[in-house]
Amino acid sequence: MADPIIKVIIAKPGLDGHDRGAKVVARALVEAGMEVVYLGLRQTPEAIVHAAVEEDVDVIGLSILSGAHMTHFRKVKELMDKEGLGDRLLTGGGIIPTKDQAKLAEAGIGRLFGPGDDLQTIIDYIRDWHRSHPR
Amino acid sequence: MKSKIEFWDDFFKGSRLACARLITKVENAPALVPEIRDRIIPCLRGAVRIGITGPPGVGKSTVTASLAGLAVKAGRKIGIIAVDPSSPFTGGAFLGDRVRMQNLIGNPNVFIRSQASREGHGGLSPTTPYVADILDAFGFERILIETVGVGQAELDVLGCADLVVLVLQPGTGDVIQALKAGIIEVADLILVNKADMPGLESLLDALKFLFDMNARPKAKPIPPILTASALNDQGIDELQAELEKLIEGQASSGFLKQKKLARLEGEIKAAIQNEIWEKFRAAAGPEADIAEAAKRLDDDGRSPYDYIRDLGRRVSLKFTTENPHGEHRP
Repeated sequence: MADPIIKVIIAKPGLDGHDRGAKVVARALVEAGMEVVYLGLRQTPEAIVHAAVEEDVDVIGLSILSGAHMTHFRKVKELMDKEGLGDRLLTGGGIIPTKDQAKLAEAGIGRLFGPGDDLQTIIDYIRDWHRSHPR
Repeated sequence: MKSKIEFWDDFFKGSRLACARLITKVENAPALVPEIRDRIIPCLRGAVRIGITGPPGVGKSTVTASLAGLAVKAGRKIGIIAVDPSSPFTGGAFLGDRVRMQNLIGNPNVFIRSQASREGHGGLSPTTPYVADILDAFGFERILIETVGVGQAELDVLGCADLVVLVLQPGTGDVIQALKAGIIEVADLILVNKADMPGLESLLDALKFLFDMNARPKAKPIPPILTASALNDQGIDELQAELEKLIEGQASSGFLKQKKLARLEGEIKAAIQNEIWEKFRAAAGPEADIAEAAKRLDDDGRSPYDYIRDLGRRVSLKFTTENPHGEHRP
């Protein structure tokens, strides 16, 4: 059987009005054959995880340019574990310093992307993760 | 037969994640559909399915969200299935309906599921009816089914929903012309949304003209035409009241029951086609390599029926009453 279609949620948590990056990535994932639930701006971590449960997504992608990445990624991850989504990928992008990325990786958060990263790199990363985490 | 789904207990105990995972199984694992239907159908509680359809951009999602918000306030549990189109080229889909449903997020009495239309070309996904049944069995009392933005012939919603709301907006007088023979025939209620925009009167005139000409199958009553501005929460109370009136009328006239039977009939036919196809493919072996056959037919300039007749001479399917569940299922 062919690989099942990968389902992703793309959301922007918190007070951060810059959604072009999120839209570009969402569009790229759609063109790569994924089903992307787009939640849009100013989401709370609770709302994002609530939607992720109902949509039963494989991947949650957060876009954060506000500087609040440490708080939001950790909170979303905590809620995912609590709601039974511990086996899904939490990834994302924004302006996230390397040392913060390392700390978030320790907390179980996937690779994070930033300016200059190629869209294909993101697509490949999600596909590889999905292939190595069948459920 | 042993269950291949390990979370039935969780589903029946009311786990939202189990409900969501069951929907994913229906979407991604056709081999599990018979088991799921076997378990779900006896648990149906008779939720009313309301289809929300109309051209792209008229406000279907906003209307759906407002309706759901009202129903929840009235103490109802609401399931929403929001379908958006899959790309025929990549198979991907941008599911954006939730953006318009922010007021409902986190509400325990609402369950929203976005669906890509996948192989469906009639405004819904082929699995939408199954998803509606799962939400029904899970305990939702009204299921709102929002179709992709439709044109003339995307009429799957007619089969899937008990009643259909067609959403239009002013400034689309010509659309009425295009819709004459299409989706307008299936509407049980017409909602002119964005009624604060210019062009309302001419649209209402066009609709009135259309129904005066009797552009409807005789059996169907002329639908009520309401106006609303869903974004400003205007006209939704009236829509809700009118819908409940229609539902009451349909329930007492036996129409809801008829709809349910028609859906079952359709499913039986589809299941037979599917079973026979699977049996045929198993029996016919490599001959069933349709792509190869198509190439040969094209090279020889022969019709598909030539091929089928030839195949029919060599392959026969035998049906017995033994082993009614079949054993070929993976």
